[in-house]
Amino acid sequence: MLEVQNLVKQYADLNAVDGISFNVNDGEVFAFLGPNGAGKTTTVEILECLRPLTKGTAHVCGFDVTKEKEVKEIKKQVGVLPQDFNGLDKLTAKENIELIADMYDNHLKVSDVIKLLSLEDKANAKFENLSGGLKQRVGIAAALVSDPKLVFLDEPTTGLDPKARRDVWDVIANLKKLGKTVFLTTHYMEEAQFLADRVAIMDKGKIVATGSPQELVDKYGGLKVLVIRKADKTLGDEIEEKFEHVTIDSNGDIHVKIDNTDELYRIMSFLTQKKAEPNIEIQTPTLEDVFLKITGSKISEGGEVK
Amino acid sequence: MRFVAIFKAVTKNWLRSRTGLFFSIMFPVMLLIIFGSIFGGNTYIPTITAAFIMTNGIIGLTSTNTEFKRRGIIKRLSLTPLTKTDWIVGCILSQTLLNLILTGVMIGLGWGVFNVRVIPDPLTILMIFMGSVLFAGIGMALSGLIKDVEAASAIGNAISFPMMFLSGVFIPLAIMPSYMELLSKAIPLTYFSDGLKATIITKSMDAAFFNMAIVAVLAVVFIAIGVLLTRWKER
Repeated sequence: MLEVQNLVKQYADLNAVDGISFNVNDGEVFAFLGPNGAGKTTTVEILECLRPLTKGTAHVCGFDVTKEKEVKEIKKQVGVLPQDFNGLDKLTAKENIELIADMYDNHLKVSDVIKLLSLEDKANAKFENLSGGLKQRVGIAAALVSDPKLVFLDEPTTGLDPKARRDVWDVIANLKKLGKTVFLTTHYMEEAQFLADRVAIMDKGKIVATGSPQELVDKYGGLKVLVIRKADKTLGDEIEEKFEHVTIDSNGDIHVKIDNTDELYRIMSFLTQKKAEPNIEIQTPTLEDVFLKITGSKISEGGEVK
Repeated sequence: MRFVAIFKAVTKNWLRSRTGLFFSIMFPVMLLIIFGSIFGGNTYIPTITAAFIMTNGIIGLTSTNTEFKRRGIIKRLSLTPLTKTDWIVGCILSQTLLNLILTGVMIGLGWGVFNVRVIPDPLTILMIFMGSVLFAGIGMALSGLIKDVEAASAIGNAISFPMMFLSGVFIPLAIMPSYMELLSKAIPLTYFSDGLKATIITKSMDAAFFNMAIVAVLAVVFIAIGVLLTRWKER
């Protein structure tokens, strides 16, 4: 569906995108995960034919983004939710979707798309009066109305409250069922983890890792951690003596890094033997741990590098 | 036919905006009532109409388009098969309709308030169209250059107001010093205002065609600049 080879985008003396290569397969949800300024939007905008590339090649739906004639085909075949999507304020949700629909020779029925996004109740509300989550849903409806093969969603949930974010996630998860290929950019780890079949982690213009969330976690996420809470001090001391990779934090909670399942069973049977009735929890590493491991930094809620 | 959809959308968006309606229609109505009551409606119907067709392009369109640009609306549209030409044609047609409505209201005011019984002819409509293209062209060019919404309205005002005073719209050129009369020859609004006066009040065909020719040439020039400066692709 999409092939990128050694893509470079240069601004003055800065390479916003610094020689990246990747593919997006038919029918998958592919996510670019990275902080603000990593080059996610720049890359996506090159693929949407909104910006010229400096070097490398990029093909979308088999068409070359640098060839004017092929650009026309690409624009027919992709749907886009741009970053910070806005419609015309005084037009209704429906009228905004119709406007985008009218730009295509063939498009779905606007009322069907409205139904798909559960916007029936708000179809006649003016865009300016919609909440952030509803505006995004109008944006996604507009991206879908041309019945595209490939949908670009650039930061679809940035700035939304958790409830609205969940709603948008459901919509995106549903796109996969409709057979769409989805290219998503996000700085939210949970979003990539929840939605993506494959993730490319982007940092400073480069792709630093690619794989399914599970593969990335397995490869870079580190060990699972068994946390034993509210344990008494003697239990802590004994575990520290008997097992490896044990740390006890300031709350007295015991953290044991688990190398393999056998080790887990050994600790569990030890706890049973001791008749300790601890409050236990197994922490699995997440994409956040992966990102921290690879880049040495974290991403804040606002998308900045910490 | 994508420009038709653009025309419909931007026109609806404008018709539902109270600020837009006030500055494009109510404000010139107020001015016509004031100036017309003092000096008579005859002269002021065409000149104030012309002046506000100018501000609708230079201030109104520039502000709207800068705002569309800031909010990513133009970017969203450029991601579809819509072409830059279709976008510009749609915007100009919308400006033309707005200006025809304005002209209608002003002529209606002439009938109702000033006893000036003008019947708009096809030549007037053509003239309004030419003027709309000219000033929308300037508006398009400006919105290609300006990033900031506040700057758009400030710059629009800075260009429009001197033009209004130097083209004899409010103060007759006859009472101005001769160098100002010379200066007025360099101002597009002068020809549009004189042309409109010729088509709707004096019915002088010579003056109408002369001024219309100049407005048409300027319209072509400015619309070309507008097309050139409207960016459909980012850097």
